[in-house]
Amino acid sequence: MSAHSFNRWVRVAIVGGVIVLGCSVLEWGLRAQEQSASPTPSDEVFTTQHRTVLAAIREYFGILPTPVQPIAFTHTVHLANGLQCVNCHTGVDQGPDARIPSVNFCMNCHRVIATDKPEIKKVAAYFARGEDIPWERVYGFEPSAHVKFNHAPHIRAGIDCKECHGDLATQTVAERKVNFTMGLCIQCHKQHKASIDCVTCHY
Amino acid sequence: MERRDFLKISAIGTASAALEGCGNPDHQLIRFIPEEDMLPGIATWKPSICTQCPAGCGLLVRVMQGEAEVIRHGQLGLIKMGLAKKLEGNPNHPINQGKLCPRGQTGLQVTYHPDRIRTPLARSGPRGSGQFKEITWDDAIKQLVSQLTPLLTDKKDGELAFVTSPLRGVRKNIVNTFAVALSGRPLTEFAFLDASVGQAANFASFGVQSLPTVDLGRSNYVISFGADFLGTWNSPVAQSIGYGTMRNGRPGQRGKFVHVEPRLSQTAANADEWISCNPGAEGAFALALAHVILAEKLRPAAAAGHASLPIEGWSQGLPDYAPEKVAAQIGTSPERITRIAREAAANAPAVALIGDTATAHTNGFFSAAAVNALNALLGSVGKPGGVLFSMPWTPMDPTRPLSELRSPKGATGADVSDSTHDLAGIISSKPSFVKALLLYNANPIFGTPESWQVREALEKVPFIASFGNFVDETSILADIILPDHSPLESWLDDAPPSGTAKTVASLAAPAMSPLHNTRAMPDVLLDVAQQLGGDLGKSLPWKTYDEALKAAFEHLRQQKGSVTATDPDDFWQKVQDQGGWWSVEEKAAPTAVDIAYGAPLKITPQFDGDPSQFPFHLLPYASQMWYDGSLANLPWMQEAPDPISSVMWGSWVEINTQTAAKLGIVQGDLLEVASQHGTLQAPAFVTPGIAPDCVAMPIGQGHTNFTRYASNRGANPISILAPLTDAETGSLAWAATRVKISRIGKGNMALFGGSLTETPPELKHR
Repeated sequence: MSAHSFNRWVRVAIVGGVIVLGCSVLEWGLRAQEQSASPTPSDEVFTTQHRTVLAAIREYFGILPTPVQPIAFTHTVHLANGLQCVNCHTGVDQGPDARIPSVNFCMNCHRVIATDKPEIKKVAAYFARGEDIPWERVYGFEPSAHVKFNHAPHIRAGIDCKECHGDLATQTVAERKVNFTMGLCIQCHKQHKASIDCVTCHY
Repeated sequence: MERRDFLKISAIGTASAALEGCGNPDHQLIRFIPEEDMLPGIATWKPSICTQCPAGCGLLVRVMQGEAEVIRHGQLGLIKMGLAKKLEGNPNHPINQGKLCPRGQTGLQVTYHPDRIRTPLARSGPRGSGQFKEITWDDAIKQLVSQLTPLLTDKKDGELAFVTSPLRGVRKNIVNTFAVALSGRPLTEFAFLDASVGQAANFASFGVQSLPTVDLGRSNYVISFGADFLGTWNSPVAQSIGYGTMRNGRPGQRGKFVHVEPRLSQTAANADEWISCNPGAEGAFALALAHVILAEKLRPAAAAGHASLPIEGWSQGLPDYAPEKVAAQIGTSPERITRIAREAAANAPAVALIGDTATAHTNGFFSAAAVNALNALLGSVGKPGGVLFSMPWTPMDPTRPLSELRSPKGATGADVSDSTHDLAGIISSKPSFVKALLLYNANPIFGTPESWQVREALEKVPFIASFGNFVDETSILADIILPDHSPLESWLDDAPPSGTAKTVASLAAPAMSPLHNTRAMPDVLLDVAQQLGGDLGKSLPWKTYDEALKAAFEHLRQQKGSVTATDPDDFWQKVQDQGGWWSVEEKAAPTAVDIAYGAPLKITPQFDGDPSQFPFHLLPYASQMWYDGSLANLPWMQEAPDPISSVMWGSWVEINTQTAAKLGIVQGDLLEVASQHGTLQAPAFVTPGIAPDCVAMPIGQGHTNFTRYASNRGANPISILAPLTDAETGSLAWAATRVKISRIGKGNMALFGGSLTETPPELKHR
């Protein structure tokens, strides 16, 4: 190893150390800020896309957090009882996004059905407090993917929900059964003779 | 180190930081149950009305489901709701026809401003300290009622002063009825850039007290005396559309545009000819043009009609205004005056405009009357391609007979006088007489010279309540603050008098639900009126503002307009869907004149300050971005570069290149600008686009207390103005102050060209 390259690695190590230290301090600072309890909206955000530095880092490396749902909602039971996907996820055939029903919608049935189950009691407790259930996102694209997805044309083309979301009849809370990659989209588009023009999705 | 190494190391560093924490603040917030059910991902466009300047353009608001951080039941959390995401012009609206200016686009930021007042506040420290504590709406209204009850029982006129920004339509009727029924004094509309001089001159010349609609699209020759009609004056979007048509919209026919002003404004930069005349000489220039037209019999003298009456010597052919006699006074050559007069007469329809600094001299009324006479002589009043006075919508006021019980001087209805000297009357004559002051979106402490001592007068008022969205220099004195909804969250109505020859009654339902614990100002007034009862309660019988609006708009159903319906509810819905009601035909206002001007008008402008000591004219001007300062709190407006200087986030002083060289001033030097009434500091912007004996400054910066974005930024030229007024109307002559300039060091000025600082250093993230 030449002296030149040795020096270079020393510099690399120092800069690296400083960055690690800096990030730790930043992270600590951000957490401290998040924990302040006063009820004023936090207008300090990292960027408009990413609230925190961490969120930006996660996206950069494509790290998707594993969703932890507040309630062990069981898709199996609901589907077994004859409900269809679109009964709760309304609007999926009309626009880009499907609705995640609000707690009001859950309570339409669960005022009377299975009110003694512990998970349903949790739902009722949210409702009583005037809060919505803080579901976590399972699927979705990061902004940096620059892709626009619209459910409605897929539904119109008769694509079954399970093609992209797995068979929910065998899942309790939804899990990320299918990994959305561009390859997956292209493959399916080719199979169904749908457009694979770039601007179909990237616009 | 090479770039690749750096990226590698950064990756290691950030990855380890990512492993450390997985807290996502979004997940720690409560989610409230949505108050409305919206389809995600699908945008709807709802009509609304722009309130950023008095033009009254129609908006379309893009509303989509989104998540907002709000406080509900004392808790901070997230809520899914329909949020306004983008503003565009309403293509149906006759004024702006689908177009919108940058100030209008920025209206979105009022709603989401981090320093908006979110809940009612009561003063908790000494007055003016800015210390407030949160109170409930019940408490706030109880306090307001208890403070106003003695005024109602006293039956003394004028104990309540209601100072607002200029209002129109039903909103104005409600505020005015409230003010008159309570203490006999109509509302006082305050705006630094009010058009009172132009309005008064139009009343004297044509019998119509409003600014005209300028039919630029059909004009062939335009002479503008100081009016920044493409930027801030009158109805800039409508005028820009007309201007575009005049220049490019008619194949083979391109209208000519001459601009007369000591400063090269954004509008002047568009002109074929920019004539830098001496400050205050605009009226003389107009009459010199008239002299040539009369002398050469290019137009009949009688064409001027009544508009020539205020002008001395008209019937003799204006002998005092021969170009050779007045050219030196104006600051141009006699040949040029003669040529322009001939061109204007030969290229009918020709139109002359006056506004901004030209009417802000002590002879402003004379100049405006002179331009009116020139217009009349050119035959362009009420004609295509000229100035049109349309019938503005005056909503029926069913409360009128009741409120006249207490009206001292016929002070109800739409024709309330609205000029700065009204305010001066309130504050200077008997300050102790005013027992309560209500403020609504008016900031007279920022918008008046310090020599008027408005702050000192207002501090003496025993009770002040403010309805505004923000704490500013005036509302910081308030004892209680009852925050209004943002315009996008409110019912709105408007009756713009100019911008189109049609009669326009704009209407907008709320585009989105309120984010915060705010209430619409008219709703609060109606509630308070009911609680106070008596005549006041009977004068304002509606429960809510939209009920009053529906009653007022119902009268339009019988008239021929853009909305037809037989059923009242159907009509009401259709008007909302369209964003208002407008007449089908263009209807001119009756031009009955019953005022004869006996006394000769004051012709020679007067300036404050001895020319030997104060060698420069200070010309403040309306900023393209911050307007009169009321938009300086919006960060998009702060970071948008001025179209002429490209300066962002601060003030500057425009100074002529030759003058600067003589004084040893270079671009960016910090200057001290001193008048007889005060001093300010701002960096120099050296430009050939200003007369050598003038310096110019944009209005809008120099706020001491107006949100995080505007506070303590730049300097306010209004503060050092002399208390000179226009001789006829009593309005502040805000371009009549002389100043001296000295270089005091190196300044700091962010220019778009050269320094790409979008965010000022002190606002950058830590």
